[in-house]
Amino acid sequence: MFPTDMGFEMSNLYVDIKNRSTDIQIQNAPFSVEPVSVMTAVNFSELKISTSTAETLVAFSIGSGIAVSIYDAVTKVGGLLHFVLPDSSKIGSERVNRFPYMFADTGILAFLEALNDINAKTETLKVVIAGGAQILDQAADFNIGLKNCRAITSILSRKNIIIHYEDVGGSSKRALSLDIGSGCNMIQIAGQGEVKV
Amino acid sequence: MTNIDDIINGIDTLKPIPPVAAQIMALAEDENSSMSDIADLIVYDPSITASLLKICNSAYFGLSRKVESVRDAITLLGLDQIVELILLNGTAENFRDEPNGYGLGEGELWHHAVLSAHVAKVLAENHGLANKKHLIFTAALVKDIGKIIMGRFVAFSYEKINILVNSKGYSFNEAEKEVIGMNHEELGALVGEKWRFGKKLIYIIRNHHMSAEACRDDVETAMVYLADIVCMMMGFGTGLDGLAYRFYSDVLNRMNLTDQDLQKTIYDTGERRQKIQKLLNLV
Repeated sequence: MFPTDMGFEMSNLYVDIKNRSTDIQIQNAPFSVEPVSVMTAVNFSELKISTSTAETLVAFSIGSGIAVSIYDAVTKVGGLLHFVLPDSSKIGSERVNRFPYMFADTGILAFLEALNDINAKTETLKVVIAGGAQILDQAADFNIGLKNCRAITSILSRKNIIIHYEDVGGSSKRALSLDIGSGCNMIQIAGQGEVKV
Repeated sequence: MTNIDDIINGIDTLKPIPPVAAQIMALAEDENSSMSDIADLIVYDPSITASLLKICNSAYFGLSRKVESVRDAITLLGLDQIVELILLNGTAENFRDEPNGYGLGEGELWHHAVLSAHVAKVLAENHGLANKKHLIFTAALVKDIGKIIMGRFVAFSYEKINILVNSKGYSFNEAEKEVIGMNHEELGALVGEKWRFGKKLIYIIRNHHMSAEACRDDVETAMVYLADIVCMMMGFGTGLDGLAYRFYSDVLNRMNLTDQDLQKTIYDTGERRQKIQKLLNLV
């Protein structure tokens, strides 16, 4: 096992290093099977569901719209929805069908159905929402950020789902991410730092 | 206070707008010009032909036959479309540079500019201003040109601006003015003056956040303002300034816009977004 033709006696270090490289067994390490982490952007009026523990879903650039993260810690599945309008009933149904995730009501409905399809349990869901920003002095009637907040709160309470954490209102742009592996959420508030939930 | 001359000298670092785009901007504002004047201008300008034909022949437009001349392009795609392409082409180079002081990602300001230009144009058409649509399109496209130069000064003074916005109730452009000595609207207007933009275009750039009460009656400015607000609410091209600009209900009321109209505009913009994104990759 010791190379003998190197002209000097091999130290224990050589043995250590030799052993180390075989002990690690790179071929069977988890990252050779799956990449360490994949970041998937969830754009405006999109819904993405993930079951891959290596994936992180991120909604960048949330304005008056709201990003909703729902995660089931038991089955380790979750998703992210980024809607911008509170109520689909004000827009013709044919148009709603084209972009169901643009609205709070149709978006959440589809979200919960999708989670149900992959056997997430409603009782153990962790829900985090971020967004609903407003323009300064935005009159109540035109305040879509506020309307979005009200819509999502009432829809979720009707479904008996509790919001674990929310960061809404104000006039800052936000980003919300969900790490499927750990169930951790990060909320970035432009110019004001980040919150880990 | 920053040295104002330092900021103003930054205008020279911008890449000049190609002459044909500048001439179109001037014609768009001129009440006496007609579409055929613009067409003449385009047809006889050799500098735009190659890039224009390349864009027109791309899969994006899905034309059944090859476009071989500018005249062809106008016949097949319509003059409006060609004018917009030339304006986009003429401004793209400046806007692709990231104004990092505003915390925007690569190309985000450009994306915002193009999207808001399209929103403003549609608003103009819906409010009986179809004859002004090229002016309004251009104004929305270049309204934030001041941000490109202002970026590093905003980055330098961001702490102070942030305090004024978050604790003292300032809007972002008011805070820029207070801390730096001018805001991106004023700087944009100076760019317009230096580049000899038309009076109205400069006026709209200068007032696109409608801070001055006198401008709130101006319908053309109102279109650009509204388009900007819609894009901000949707989070397109929103940076550290976020949504920290003022909302004036009277502007919407004067145009008879209801909350429902605003929501429809947001929906339409969302629907149009993907198509515009594809267009952006071409220009």
